[in-house]
Formats: sequence, C-alpha cells, structure tokens
Amino acid sequence: MTGWKDSAGGRRVMAILSSRPFLTVAIVAAVWIAASFASRGFGAYGHLRYLVELGAVIGLVAAGQTFVVIAGGIDLSVAAIVTVSAISLPLLSWQADPTGLAPVLAVLALTTIIGLVNGLGVALLRVHPMIMTLAMATFLQGLLIIIAGGSAVTAENPLVHWLGNARPAGIPAGVLLWVAVSMIVLTVMHATPFGARIFAMGANPLAAALSGVPVTSTTLAVYGISGFTSGLAGVLVLGMNGQGYVGIGDPYLLASIAAVVLGGTSILGGLGTYAGTIPGAILLVTITALITVVNASPGWRSILFGSLILGLLLLSGREQARR
Amino acid sequence: MAPLLAARGVSKSFFGNPVLRDVSIALQPGRVHALLGENGAGKSTLINLLSGALRPDGGTIEVDGRAVARMTPALARQAGIAVVQQELSLTASLSIAENIGLGAYPKRFGLVDYSALAARAKAACELVGLHEPLSTPVGQLPLGRRQMVEIAKALYRKPRVLILDEPTSSLSATETKILTDLLERLRSEGIAILYISHRLNEVMKLCHHVTVLKDGICTADRSLEGTDAAGLVRLMVGRDPGDLFPQWRPSPSPATAISVRDFSAGLMRDVDLDIRTGEVLGIGGLVGQGQEDLLLGLYGAIPARTASATVNGAPGLPGGVPRANALGLAYVPADRKREGLHLIHTITTNMMLPAFARLPALKLRSRRAERETARGLATQLGIKGDLARQAQALSGGNQQKVALAKWMPHDPLVLLLNDPTRGVDVETKREIYLMLRAFAAAGKAVVLLSSDTPELVHLCERVAVVREGRIAAMLERAALSEEAIVSAAMGAENRKVAA
Repeated sequence: MTGWKDSAGGRRVMAILSSRPFLTVAIVAAVWIAASFASRGFGAYGHLRYLVELGAVIGLVAAGQTFVVIAGGIDLSVAAIVTVSAISLPLLSWQADPTGLAPVLAVLALTTIIGLVNGLGVALLRVHPMIMTLAMATFLQGLLIIIAGGSAVTAENPLVHWLGNARPAGIPAGVLLWVAVSMIVLTVMHATPFGARIFAMGANPLAAALSGVPVTSTTLAVYGISGFTSGLAGVLVLGMNGQGYVGIGDPYLLASIAAVVLGGTSILGGLGTYAGTIPGAILLVTITALITVVNASPGWRSILFGSLILGLLLLSGREQARR
Repeated sequence: MAPLLAARGVSKSFFGNPVLRDVSIALQPGRVHALLGENGAGKSTLINLLSGALRPDGGTIEVDGRAVARMTPALARQAGIAVVQQELSLTASLSIAENIGLGAYPKRFGLVDYSALAARAKAACELVGLHEPLSTPVGQLPLGRRQMVEIAKALYRKPRVLILDEPTSSLSATETKILTDLLERLRSEGIAILYISHRLNEVMKLCHHVTVLKDGICTADRSLEGTDAAGLVRLMVGRDPGDLFPQWRPSPSPATAISVRDFSAGLMRDVDLDIRTGEVLGIGGLVGQGQEDLLLGLYGAIPARTASATVNGAPGLPGGVPRANALGLAYVPADRKREGLHLIHTITTNMMLPAFARLPALKLRSRRAERETARGLATQLGIKGDLARQAQALSGGNQQKVALAKWMPHDPLVLLLNDPTRGVDVETKREIYLMLRAFAAAGKAVVLLSSDTPELVHLCERVAVVREGRIAAMLERAALSEEAIVSAAMGAENRKVAA
C-alpha cells in the first residue's frame, strides 16, 4: 500500500513541510510558545505585535538584501543607507507640502541613487560587491558626520509620524507597509522574468550573460532596489523613533544578512526566497527580545545575540557544497 | 597473472536507480583496456568505484588479486591508481607545476621543496609534450593544454594503473598523437591503462581489450582483435548504428546572413568572413588558435572591432549578447557546466532562460506555459524524466541537449556552436547532427566550431581553418577532407622545408 506521502498532494505537503521558509516559521512559532510559558507577557498580543513591528524594519532592509544575495552579491552599505535616510529626511521638510510626501519621495530617490552607484561600481567597474558597498558605507558615514555631527535631528513630517505611530484597524502602519512591500517583492522575485534573471545571474553569471541576460542593467537594478528598501526602512525607523542620529542604522547590517541566510537563501547566490527572509527577520527580533528579558548588561547582550545567530546558522543555515 | 586492479560483480544505485548491475572488469599490466558506452551507461560510476571515490552497493574491488574491504581515494593513491577525469580538476590560479604536484608536494623541513617540485613536474610535462613555462597559471592555458596538464598530473604520481576518462575530447590531432605514443610506451613498461573515449578510431588503434557497458550492464568483455567499429557501436546502442552522419545535401539559394570585413576579436585578427543561410560553416584548426574568440566576438560576448559588418540585415556588430539575440543569433558554449547551464536550477528554468532574458522585465510569468514549453522541447529532443530536477542530474549528452534546446523557441537565424559534441555519446551526436542539418535545410545558418575533424568533413558546406588567430584556409565542399583540414591547421602548405 502506498502512503499518503506518495500521492501528488502528499508530495506537495511534504515539499512545503521540508522547505526552509516553513522551517523558519516553525522555529519562530516554537520560540514564541516556549517564551510565553517562560515569561509572563511575552505572548500577549500587544507584545507580539510590537515584535512584528520591529521586524518590519529588518524585513524591509533584508528585502533588498535578499535580491542582492540571490543575484550573487552582497550589500554592506544598507546600514549606512538607513542612517542617510533617517537623517536627511528631517533636513528636507518644507512647508509647501502639508502631507510630507514630497520629502519622503526625495529621500527614497536619493537612497535609490546611492544603490545604483553601488551597482555601477559592481557591474561596470567590476569592483567586488563587498569592497564596493563597504567603501560606500564608509563614505556615507563620513558624509553624515559632516552634515549631522553628533546631534540627533527631529522629524516633523506628518507622513513619517503616521507611518511610525498609526494603527489602522489595530495593525501598525509599518507592518502594513511591510506586508505591501513583501507582496510586491515576492511577485517580482518569483513571478516575473526579472526575478528569473536574478536567480540565473546568481547561479552562474557567465551562463546567464551568454543566454542574453542583460547583466549590467540587472545588477544596477538589484542594488538600486536595495538602496530603495533601505531608504524605506530608514523612513520607518525615523517614524518609530521620532529622531534620526548617526548610527541609527547600524544594527541592520548584520540583521539583514542574518535574516536572509536564516530564511534559507544561499549566501552563494542563485537559490532562495524572500518568503524565508520574512520569518527570519521576525526570528531575529524575537531573539533580541528574549535577550532583553534575561536582563543582561549591554556587552553581554551583544555577545549573546552574536552567539545565538551563529548557533542558529550552524543548526539550519549551512550549505551543501556545490559541484 | 593477477590483474593490478579489478572489480568483481559490482553494483551501484543512486536514489534507487541502478546505475551499474553486476559489472566485472580486470585491468592487466601492460594492456590498454577500452571502456565504451553511451553517456549515462555507467562508465564514470565504474571509474569512481575503481578509484575509491564511491563505494559499491555490492561486489568487490580487488588490488593485485586481493579484495579490498573498503576502497578509498587514499588507498587507491597508495596502490598507484591515477585517474584523469573528464571534467578537469585543475585549479586555474595555480601554476602548472603547482597543479601537477597538488596534494603530493615534495617537502623539505616541512616546507614545499619548489626546486624538487619543478624538476619532477618538468619530467612529467616532457612526457606529454608540455613546453609552456611551469610557472604559467593553468587558467591562462587553452583547454587542450589544460588536459595535458591533467595527464601530467597523473604521471607525476608514477601510477601502476592509469585511468583516462575521455582524455582526447579537447585535444588537437598533434596532442592526441603525443598522447597515444605516450600510452603505448607506458603500456610497454607494464602499466595497466583503462581508456575511455567516444572516438572509436582511437580505441581501435590504441586498445587491446574492451569492456562495453549499456545501461549499467556489461554487454562485452573481450579482445578487440577481429572487432570493427560498427560492431562496437552495435554493442553500445544495441542496434545497428547506420551512418553516424546524416546524408549531406546542398542547400538551396544561399543568402548572406553575417558578413564581416577586417574583423578582430581576442586572438583573431583581420578576418573577412561571409556566413550564408542554409549552410553549415565549419570552424576547424588546432585547439586554442582563436576559433572561440571568433564566435564570441560575433556574438557580442567579447569586444570586437570590424571595418564593416552586417548581421542579418542590420549594419554593424551586435556589440552585446542581448542585441545579438535580438538579431537572431544564438550561442551554445563548449563548457556546458561552466558556461551553458545553471546546474542548481531545474531543467525547465534552464530551458526558459533565454525567454526570461528577452521578455519585458516585469511581465507576469505563467508557470504552466513554461512547463508546457519545456515539456515540448524535452519530447522533441528525447530528454526523459522529471523536468523539475536540477540540471546537474542529467548526463553530459542530455545537458548538451538542454543547452541547445533553450534557443529553439526563439527560432534563431544563426546558430553559433562551440564544439557541441564534445564528450557526447554516439547516439546524442547523431541526434545533434540531424538537428544541425535540419536547421540549415530550413534556411538558417549554422556555424560549427569543432575539434572533431570527421564531423567537419561530413557536416559542413565550407570549413574555415584557423591558425594563429587568422583564417588560414577556407575549404569548399569539393576540397574537404580530414587531410586537407589537418594540413591547413598545421600550416603544412606554407612549410617549404620540413625541419
């Protein structure tokens, strides 16, 4: 007798159950359930909602990062771009626009251009992505110190404030933004030729180029997208925080890469999905929350966070060698 | 005499698919033993069992007549078994000497003894006729020379048993001659040689004994004396092979598809070339004379200059691959694993890639239409099995079919092929030949770069023979023969006094 696993539907269920995105969701659920028993208040709706809201920032940064990593690159400038966004926006508030939309669009255009410059360096000047984006990050940090100095800048932009604080139908606006971005990202990634080109480039750039994939423009596009989503994350973090300062984006570099890899995307490129990055981002904020519960000193918190990420990656994120 | 290395009744399955069933082979000292079979017949698996890279599910491996409980690569090395793999295993950034000695460097005070390494590597290189400086990075060598480095690497280890998996598939005629002379000498020194090749003429000339595999079963294990090539093919495919090459017919009313004057790209200089519709134009010559650069330059994959050019009616060179595709050019690379396929992606995705490259970037895909297109192509080309598998699950011949198939939905006007039958079994070769002729008969142009001279003679209307970056001769159909191609490739007609 054949078991249900051998039927077509059974195979599909097995495929979902053994997929990395599902595994990551399962880990998140297990941690949440365990933590709610261990700590009173952890499992409360308000607290979980807060976790997802925090996860939205990582999730947005990691959206662009997922594109870049699948395409075979890496973007180490995301943290600096988040900071650029959160600091330049308050400086751009002008009175003629009561909604605050124009400065937001201007900042997003700026961060997208920064991403495109990364792409230019990688695609045309053939600088290694790690060097290019790291140099970009250093350059931006210097610029930010000159512009903003050590002081925090306060945002007085209605749209940004709404994004960081409003809760239409009880759901934080930032989470809604994340849901919308996620749907667009998943569609572009898995249901368009553009998405297919990115996977092809990451798996074998030479074969992709010889198959007619426009490698230069696609590379430009993925770094541009990364700049855009990091800029968006910067707007959100500014709204949630009320103030922007140099260093506000710093936690999001390791977090974005960790979310991508925890979600099962290959750091070597060519394989993966944003559907895994989403629970990956939530898992990261959950870990942070748990560490806070333990009441450790800041130094120990960082050490714990780093070790936990490393441990999780060892458990789930190791890759099989490619032939 | 006990065989130096033998397999007795070995079986091996991968994921429940039997690849070898109860196969025996015995390698005797002083004998060149041929192993024949189509791609996917189990040859590579048998080699991997003999060399300890894989463990058999059943049966035993014997060294010097004694069963080895558990063969490992380390044990195989100790027993003097050296394998020259079909897929080159060299490290591009290391020098020739470093590659040859890799894993067996002579040591002095715990450090690599480079002078001893150089001396020993030089000796191995001389055996195979490699005269390039030993410090040359292997990545800078053409494919044929890399193959010779691979062989030198095996010789460096002073093997008692030498296993060669398609050593000549990327070698020129001269290099092949050096190799066959070398093998003859090694044989006379008492080394056991296992030789795998799809070139039957070579096998007939070089080998004494043959083992034929078909679908994982041994169909012959006998002396080669009294066997002819047709008989061997019958044993491999289980039917009369007929003529390997399809009937040649002249093409009707040719027009010019591509025309270039003073074309230069990579190694190629000052090329004047007209590629006509309805013809198969061959590109021949010794390996690595610039033939590949000619194709890549026309395809826009490497920078190229020209005084004047028309490509399918459009003036100028494409200058980039997407533009070349739009003008109706398609390119099938030689190294399908590195340049042709996305091994970790599904067969379907591989087949659809040129479409993804051309469709509007943000148009929604239809997975169902993709699956149907892929299934259609697979049926047309005889690729069996689940198309949702990774491309790396396919045998070499089927991978080549996928690399070709992906262009078919786009109806290219000019097909640029870089050694499409390299390392491909006889049956697939024939299918590819038929496709190429059918393609030309449909009024398209085919440019066939090949290291297999008979292929050029039997399939092409004209053959451009490339030597040192120039077209040394353009041989018309009437003047086509293997001798004519080889002598043009070696520059024989220019050599006034033989050295």
